[in-house]
Amino acid sequence: MTTTTPINRRTILTGAGLTALGLAVPSILSGCSSSGAPAGGAGTGSGTGTVKLWMDIVGDANQKYFNESVIGAFSKAKPTINVMTTYYQGGDLRRLIQTALQARSGPDIVRGPSATQTLAWSKANVLADLSGYSEKWGWSDKLSSWAMQAFTTDNKLYALPMRVDTMLLYFNKTLFADKGWKQPTNREELESLAAEAHGQGIMPFGSSNVDWKAASEWLMTIFWNHYSGPEAIYQALTGQAKFTDPVFVEAVQLLKSYFDKGWIAGGADKYFSVPSQELGASFGKGKIAMIPQGGWFMSQVGQYFGSAAKNSNEWDWMAIPTLRPEVAYPLYEIGIGGSLSINQASKNKDAAAEFLNWYYSDRKAALQRMAHTPSTYNIPIDFADSEIPSTIDPRSGRVLTSLNKAVATGDYGYVTWTWWPPKSDVYVYTGLDEVLTGKTTAAAYCAQLAKTFEAEKAAGTIPQLMKRGPAK
Amino acid sequence: MKDIPARTSKAPAAPPSRVSRSRRRRLLRGWGFLAPLLVLNVLVVVGPSIATIYYSFTDWSGLGPATFVGLANYTRAFGDPRLREALLHNGIWFVLFLSVPSAMGLLGAYLLSRIHRFQMLFRAIYFIPYVVASVVNAAVWKMLLSPTNGIGHLLGEWGVPGIGDVAFLGNPATSLLSVNFVVNWHWWGFLAVIFFAAMQGVDPQLYDAAKVDGATEWQQFKAVTIPGIRPTLVFLSLMTVIWSLKAFDYIFIMTQGGPAGSSELVSTLMYKVAFSDYEAGYAAALGLSMALVTAAVLVVYQYLRKKGWEE
Repeated sequence: MTTTTPINRRTILTGAGLTALGLAVPSILSGCSSSGAPAGGAGTGSGTGTVKLWMDIVGDANQKYFNESVIGAFSKAKPTINVMTTYYQGGDLRRLIQTALQARSGPDIVRGPSATQTLAWSKANVLADLSGYSEKWGWSDKLSSWAMQAFTTDNKLYALPMRVDTMLLYFNKTLFADKGWKQPTNREELESLAAEAHGQGIMPFGSSNVDWKAASEWLMTIFWNHYSGPEAIYQALTGQAKFTDPVFVEAVQLLKSYFDKGWIAGGADKYFSVPSQELGASFGKGKIAMIPQGGWFMSQVGQYFGSAAKNSNEWDWMAIPTLRPEVAYPLYEIGIGGSLSINQASKNKDAAAEFLNWYYSDRKAALQRMAHTPSTYNIPIDFADSEIPSTIDPRSGRVLTSLNKAVATGDYGYVTWTWWPPKSDVYVYTGLDEVLTGKTTAAAYCAQLAKTFEAEKAAGTIPQLMKRGPAK
Repeated sequence: MKDIPARTSKAPAAPPSRVSRSRRRRLLRGWGFLAPLLVLNVLVVVGPSIATIYYSFTDWSGLGPATFVGLANYTRAFGDPRLREALLHNGIWFVLFLSVPSAMGLLGAYLLSRIHRFQMLFRAIYFIPYVVASVVNAAVWKMLLSPTNGIGHLLGEWGVPGIGDVAFLGNPATSLLSVNFVVNWHWWGFLAVIFFAAMQGVDPQLYDAAKVDGATEWQQFKAVTIPGIRPTLVFLSLMTVIWSLKAFDYIFIMTQGGPAGSSELVSTLMYKVAFSDYEAGYAAALGLSMALVTAAVLVVYQYLRKKGWEE
C-alpha cells in the first residue's frame, strides 16, 4: 500500500539543494526535481505496469545479453510488467542515482553500489524496506545468508546482493609454461617469481587505477587478507583490534615495497597513468606475468588472448598466495559487488519487487547466466557444485566451486567494499594513493583509517559482518 | 516679417489617466517578456543559491535530513589541508592559464595579422581544439601522455633522452602541469582568434604614425596594438579568473585530482566531498566560498572599469 506525501519545505529545499550542488560544482548536472512521492514502506502485493531500471552494463554485446536473457526472459515470465532499462557508465550511474534518490525520483529498481555504500543510502531512508517481500517470497532461504546479512541493518533488508566478488591472481598461462614457472602459493615463492620476471624485463604484476580510482582498494584487500589475515580483519571490524596494529601497517608497507621495486605496474607513477586496456594488451602479449584482479575481470580478460588479440597465448587464474605463514591457503576474500533495491519513492514497488523475486528465485536461469557470462551474474545463491551447468568455462566454474568450498570451510576473507563502512572504504583507496606517492606513511594511513572507522562504527554505519567459521 | 511660432519638440500633453494607463501597459508588456526568464532564473539560480546557503550551515550528507551546525563548515574549511592544497593548485592553475594562453594568443593573433594568404586556414586550425568537446580532447591527451604508448614513449624510442617512460599524469610533480598544458593547448587558439578580431579594430593610421616616428615592430605592438585591444584583454583576463576558479572537466577526466590530490582543484575537491565523502553541507560551504571569491573579482573588475582602466 502506498500513501502520498504533499510537497513540503524540506522537499523543496532538498530539490533546490541538489540543483545548487550541480550548479556550484562545474560540469555536475544534478537535474533534480521534487514530486509528491509515496513515502510509505514496501507493499507485498502483485504489481503490474512499467518499472524503470538504470544499469551500468557497458558494451553492445553485454547489453544485448542483458536485454535478451534477463529483461526479455522476465517479460515472457511476467508479461504484465514492463521493465524499461537505461544504461549508464558505472561512475556516472552512482552519482545520477544518488541525486535522483534524494530528489524522490529516479528508477524504481535501484542498481546500487557495494553493500557499504548502499548502506549509506539506506540510512538516509531513500530505499524501500524489502523485509515484507523477503518474508512473502522466502528470499532468505534462496540467497546465501552471509550476503543477506550484509544488506540487513536495524532488522531491515534494504537491498539484495547483486554479485559475489573475490580477488584472484590472473596469469599468462603460456608465459608460465614457456618460462617453466610454477604457480606460487606463498610469499617466498611469489617474491622469487616476481624478482625473476622483473629481471627478465617482464612486469610481474599489472595493475592500474586510471580507469577506476577505487582500484587501490583491490590491492589493499589482497594485502590485508593475505598478510594480516581474515581473523585480524574480523577483530578490527568488530572493534576487538585496531587498524593501527602492526599486522595492518606491515601489510601496507609490504604493498608499497612491491611498488618501490617496480614489481607492481612498473612503479606507482605508471600505476597512476597507464590505462587498464594497455595493461590488458601487455598481459596478453606476455609482457606482464600476472594481474591481481577481481572475479569480474574474468568477463574481460579473454579479449586480450587468442585470435581476437592476435596472439596464441592463454590465461588462467590462481588463488592469491599467502603472504604470511599464519594465513591459510587457499583463501578467498568474499564480498558483494553491487546491489539491487527498490526506490522508496517508487510508485510501483510491487512490480519492482516482482522483478527482483523472479531474478533471484529462478535458480536454473541464474545458473545458466553464470555459465554464459563469466562472473557478471554470480548472484549469491546456494547451489551444489554438481548443479553448475557443464557448458561453463572451466576457469569460471572453478571460481564458483572454490568459493563454495571457502564459504563451507571458513577459509574466506573480507573485501573492503562490502564490509568496511562507507567513509572508511573511500579512505582505503584515497589514502593508499597518498602512501604510494610518499605523501604519507603506512602508519599514518592506518591511523587515519582507524580514526575514520571508529567514528563510523560509533554512528552505526557499518554493515553486518559475517562471522568467522563455516558459513552459508 | 511674420513671426513663426516656435516649434516645440514636446508632444501635446495627454490627460494624466491616459499616461498612466499606457505606462502601465508598457510596463506589463516588459514584465511579460521578462517573466519566463525570471521564472527560470528563480528556479535554477536563486532557489538553488538560497538552498546552497542554507545547506552550507548544515551537516547534510547529500541524502536524508540536515542538521544546523552554524559556521562549523566554514571554520573547518580554514583548517582543511586538502582545501589549502587545492587552493594552491588553483593559484598555480590561474597563473598558468592567464599567462601562457594569453601570450600565445597574442603572438598567434599578431602573426595572423601579418599574413594574408592562408589566414582563414590558420584561424581554423587555431580554433579547432576549442570546438572539440573537452571530453574528447581530454581522453585523447590521456592516451597521448601514457608512458607506455604515448608521445613521450615514442620520442624515447626515437632516441630523445629522459622522456621515454615519463608518467606525466602519474607523477605528482607533473600531473597538474600536464593537465594545465592540455587546457592551455585547447584554449590559446580561441584567444588568438578573439585578439585577432580585436586587432582589426585598431586604427591603421596609428601604425602609420608609429612607423613614421621610427617605431620597431615590437614598439608598435607595445604602444599601439596592446592599448588598442585593452578592453578585450581586460575582459578576457576577468573571464580567465572566473574560468580558472571553475575549471573541472579536464582535471576530472584526466586525473580526477590525482595522484593523491596532486592535481586537485577546489571544484574537483567539492565534487568528491559531496559525492564520495557524503558531506554535501561542507561541499556547499566550499562552493559558496568560491562564489564569493568570484564575486570579489567581479567587484574589483567593476571598480577598475569605473576608474577607466579599460580605456
